[in-house]
Amino acid sequence: MSLVAYAPDDLTVSVTADTTLAALQKYLARRGQWLPVDPPHPDRLTIGAIIDGNLSGPRRYGYGTVREHVLSLRAELADGRRIKTGADVVKNAAGYDLCRLFTGARGELASVREVCFKVQPLPEVEQFVEARFPSVEAACAFVEILDTSELTPVVLDLHHPGGAGLWTVVAGLAGMREDVAWQRQEAERLGTLTDSSLDHDRRFWAAAHAGPVRKLAVLPSALAAAIQPLRAAAVSLVARAGNGILYYHGGPEPPAPILPVKLLQRLKHEFDPTNKFPAGTS
Amino acid sequence: MAMAAVSPSLVRELRAICGDDGVIATPERLLVYECDAYTMEKNLPDAVVLPRTTEEVVGVVKLCAAHQIPIIPRGTGTSLSGAVLAVDGGVIIGTTRLNRILRLDFRNRRALVEAGVPNLSITNAVKHRGLMFAPDPSSQPSSTIAGNIAFNAGGPHTLKHGATTNHVLGFDLVLASGESVWLGAEPDGGDDVEGYDLRGVVIGAEGMFGVITRVLVRLMKTARAYRTLLAVFDHPDDASQTVSDIIASGIIPVALEMMDQPITRAIEEAYHFGLPMDAGAVLIIELEGHEAGLDRQLHRVLELCRKHHARELKPARTDAERAALWKCRKGAFAAIGRISPCFVTQDGVVPRTRLPEIMRFIYDSAKQHGLGVANVCHAGDGNIHPILFYDERIPGHVEQAYACSTEIVRRCVELGGSCTGEHGIGVEKVDLMSVQYTADDIAAMKRVRHAFDPEGRCNPHKMFPGGKRCLNFKPARQVAV
Repeated sequence: MSLVAYAPDDLTVSVTADTTLAALQKYLARRGQWLPVDPPHPDRLTIGAIIDGNLSGPRRYGYGTVREHVLSLRAELADGRRIKTGADVVKNAAGYDLCRLFTGARGELASVREVCFKVQPLPEVEQFVEARFPSVEAACAFVEILDTSELTPVVLDLHHPGGAGLWTVVAGLAGMREDVAWQRQEAERLGTLTDSSLDHDRRFWAAAHAGPVRKLAVLPSALAAAIQPLRAAAVSLVARAGNGILYYHGGPEPPAPILPVKLLQRLKHEFDPTNKFPAGTS
Repeated sequence: MAMAAVSPSLVRELRAICGDDGVIATPERLLVYECDAYTMEKNLPDAVVLPRTTEEVVGVVKLCAAHQIPIIPRGTGTSLSGAVLAVDGGVIIGTTRLNRILRLDFRNRRALVEAGVPNLSITNAVKHRGLMFAPDPSSQPSSTIAGNIAFNAGGPHTLKHGATTNHVLGFDLVLASGESVWLGAEPDGGDDVEGYDLRGVVIGAEGMFGVITRVLVRLMKTARAYRTLLAVFDHPDDASQTVSDIIASGIIPVALEMMDQPITRAIEEAYHFGLPMDAGAVLIIELEGHEAGLDRQLHRVLELCRKHHARELKPARTDAERAALWKCRKGAFAAIGRISPCFVTQDGVVPRTRLPEIMRFIYDSAKQHGLGVANVCHAGDGNIHPILFYDERIPGHVEQAYACSTEIVRRCVELGGSCTGEHGIGVEKVDLMSVQYTADDIAAMKRVRHAFDPEGRCNPHKMFPGGKRCLNFKPARQVAV
């Protein structure tokens, strides 16, 4: 890991792309701060990989994907030129926003070397609650109740172990002590809850034997309908239910998206005409 | 490449697409379109079209493509950097008649609207359901959603909620070739889209990648409780140090705004809110969330204000008081005419801890150039907006204003910030791009431009150094943020 610059009073930090997420979080935690993204395997996942994949985890519902937290990037282009895009401040309207373009580009346009992030104070309290349901419809109905309530959870997940298991909705509450206590009380008024954690997410991503992870993005209101056809295959799944993002093991392939292919190809050609950064290698 | 001029026969063809009342081509009526809210540079377009449908936009763009005519997408012209200036003539494509709200989806918190819908109209259409469109530039009653996209518009509440890019999911973009592409999340699709974030790179590209016709935005739940505080300081240094300390303490208010004495006085004279006329600076600090916990946060903020010698702390007691306070802040620029007939509004960003330093620099620089200055800024973001007063009747005064402006913005970059936080580069700051970025950085941006618009025909001469300019040093006045 290489920490390039940390300005805790400005809530910004710059690190090299080979830094692991866990190392960065540990460093920030000393000053009561964090980068609010939580993709799986933080011990071995590098910042570069998080940027390439625009990764996120359960807390995406409250804090978004990593793209929302990038202030500037230093990158090497296919022709060897080193560039910087963005600025190390929380607002910048100068020039095109290549940070967004490169984040999630799977390393196909440029090789990201260094990232400056906007960081946040750690919440005073964070706690998780869950409710279990016999059917996906009942679970999704509860998701809707939470999603459209006055509550502001930072996690709103749905998970299922495959087979005949129950459907579990997990909500994460974070913030000031009094606020979290109030939200918990309100949530209990809406449904029967027990204490929970994010273990379901760790279990899902650790189950490599269950086959490749597939991803589907739908409207939150369409989540139950999207899950229905997967049930025959009895797959295990975890959904960022509040975002309409579904991950599942095995089961049918999601439908191919319709993309502005010509425009994507032109961009690729502009940045990497000799295909030095081929698709599928990052 | 060489751009062609608009011929009378082309105007007839434009009328065939947009109707007689949808095309403006006489010099006296084109005068409205000679500039935007940046008035130091002016030039007439050859024609303005006001299409009513995406099909009409496509028709106009294809016609201009066939004749090699520049196109300039334009909303309501509130840009403060000359971004919709027709530097080389060409056809301005005004989106103001694309003003329908097409679909509201309360369950999924989304709205599908046409490009020319004003920012505030979106919130007005959904607020009865406890929702809002979060970006809130001061121009929000008039600035359009597509214009907000062009500049990644922010506003006082950007501090917590983020700018336009955090709240726009997707849009329909007509490229300069006339090809129409939907970028980002589809109206009926999920949030995540495969491939590069083309949506993200169009946002903030100042209308240089094509004409937006429809936009899918994300709506946010409005907060249930607020604590809005007016903090009064004798000295601007104490106010800016308080801002720095609040952020450093781990409290992120939803807004943290600073106004110095000249602007506070002008506002008080205009709105009679009860602001102190003799304060060195005031802060407007807003916290939001659930009722529980807010008072403890407010208490910490009050302590920090007192530590830095706040002489008066006035929390808004009612919603009406809160609304009045924001009306003062957002109306700040409208009150400037009371101070000076001619002024220029600057925009720059520094790391938040450098705020006291840049404020001192601004006062010194204005003094050295013999100019008056007032400051209203999104202090919590480190985003300054000094307003420099000058008198164009005094020889050399305009040049002094220009020099002082440039000096301040250069200093922002030297302090590790940016030459613009929300007004954009436009034509105004093309020369500052190479202060902030290397030639290679700029070349990388040009590659994106080339992929979207290989002929460079959409909104030419903007953003990059070396473009044609129309600077005449005879400005009138400008308003905003």
